[in-house]
Amino acid sequence: MTTVVADQTLDVQGLNCPMPLLKARQAIMKMEVGQVLKVLSTDRGSIKDFQGWAQSARNVELVGQGEESGPDGKKLYVHYVKRTK
Amino acid sequence: MSTPEVTYPEASEEISQQITVEALYRKLQEPDHGLFILDVRNADEFETWRIESRYPPEMVNIPYFEFFENTEHALAQLPQDPEREIVVVCAKGGASDFVAALLEEEGRSAVNLAEGMEAWGNFYVFRPVAETESYQVYQVDRPARGCLSHVLISQGKAAIIDPLRHTEKYQDFLAAQGATLALILDTHAHADHISGGPALALATGAPYYLHPYDGIHPFDMLPAKMEYEMLKEGMAFTLGDLTIQTIHVPGHTLGQVNFLASGPDGERFFFTGDNLFIESFGRPDLGGQGEAWAPIVYETIFQKVKSQIPGEAWVLPGHYASPTEANDQGLFAKRLADLWQENSALQFASREEFVEFVLSHLPIMPAEYVEIKRVNIGLTQPDEEEASTLELGKNICAVAAAAAAS
Repeated sequence: MTTVVADQTLDVQGLNCPMPLLKARQAIMKMEVGQVLKVLSTDRGSIKDFQGWAQSARNVELVGQGEESGPDGKKLYVHYVKRTK
Repeated sequence: MSTPEVTYPEASEEISQQITVEALYRKLQEPDHGLFILDVRNADEFETWRIESRYPPEMVNIPYFEFFENTEHALAQLPQDPEREIVVVCAKGGASDFVAALLEEEGRSAVNLAEGMEAWGNFYVFRPVAETESYQVYQVDRPARGCLSHVLISQGKAAIIDPLRHTEKYQDFLAAQGATLALILDTHAHADHISGGPALALATGAPYYLHPYDGIHPFDMLPAKMEYEMLKEGMAFTLGDLTIQTIHVPGHTLGQVNFLASGPDGERFFFTGDNLFIESFGRPDLGGQGEAWAPIVYETIFQKVKSQIPGEAWVLPGHYASPTEANDQGLFAKRLADLWQENSALQFASREEFVEFVLSHLPIMPAEYVEIKRVNIGLTQPDEEEASTLELGKNICAVAAAAAAS
């Protein structure tokens, strides 16, 4: 698991593709360059989506990804996205 | 350090025009359908499996986020004719809905495949092979996987050969036909897909038959943990006016059987499972014993089948590798006499030549196949998500046929 420190957390549990990525994109545009957004998702497909998106987008970097157990035992997919521009 | 929490509401209803898998499938059966498919999944998912048709549509893969990160570049890869309909596809229909709406805003004509590849993967189509007053034979096609199964009906009684996992499709069909399930037959313990046989037996009380050699897992060397009736060479069943004969055809598995059904009108239907396909034939290595079993495939096909099964029998296989193997009616069916001539993988002079060819044309074996065989003899019980993941993509049960033709 990554030790990246997030400046803001975005909770998109229960939302399906493409919402986790769209909400993350919206949120990161409001953050400062260099800041990191932590995204909590229950959508398994978000793992690959965030990888592809970070490669495609010119202003973000995926600095970490992992899985966590949520309070209700549900598996959470966690993404750390840094604004680079 | 505390971080501010932001929670968004649930996603709303669809925002673009929708097309169902049934409607898309019907369109794809027309030779001049002219469809353009835009698949917005990630490249590796697209590589694993995608929509296919015997009349292949134009298709491009552009992951959905490209449409808001590199919009102009993404749009440039699509048909420029604003009237040309673009069918947008993703895994579950969410991202493609978003892209279809975006395309409409850009002045293009776009529809979203409702529920995406998940719905495509679970889509089955029933086609009549023969419909007479005394009996009917139907071919059941699961296009996403290239898996075929067959339903026989006579005098209100039904048999299903190689039923696939979504058993409700068969039960709904039989209910609509007014037939009662009397017999469930598996040609072998499948490696590429989960059999619906045991579940149908539980749900209906109809007996489920399998050859006992296939009731042993070839890697684990463990016996089945489920109830089944044992098939054997020569066993015959009566289904109304139809008789069904069991022929042991080892090679693809040690316990594989084929079924020869005969109607009162003299028609014969030869259900070949993973023995003979329209193109190529079943690979001998999925039990881990390719070198030992390849000669058995030769004896089964060129000695037993060739001498015992009449040429006028209709071959109805358990798989196809390409949808182009279908005939004009969309059926995967061919008279056995024609198959001997036209199946390019059956043109061998000697056993040695055949075995050498088979062993040098074995495709990769997906890792899931060992686990699927466990599921099919009751050694493990996957939940719906695990079952769906195990079955992802197309079957790879045939010896490489494209190579055979070259």
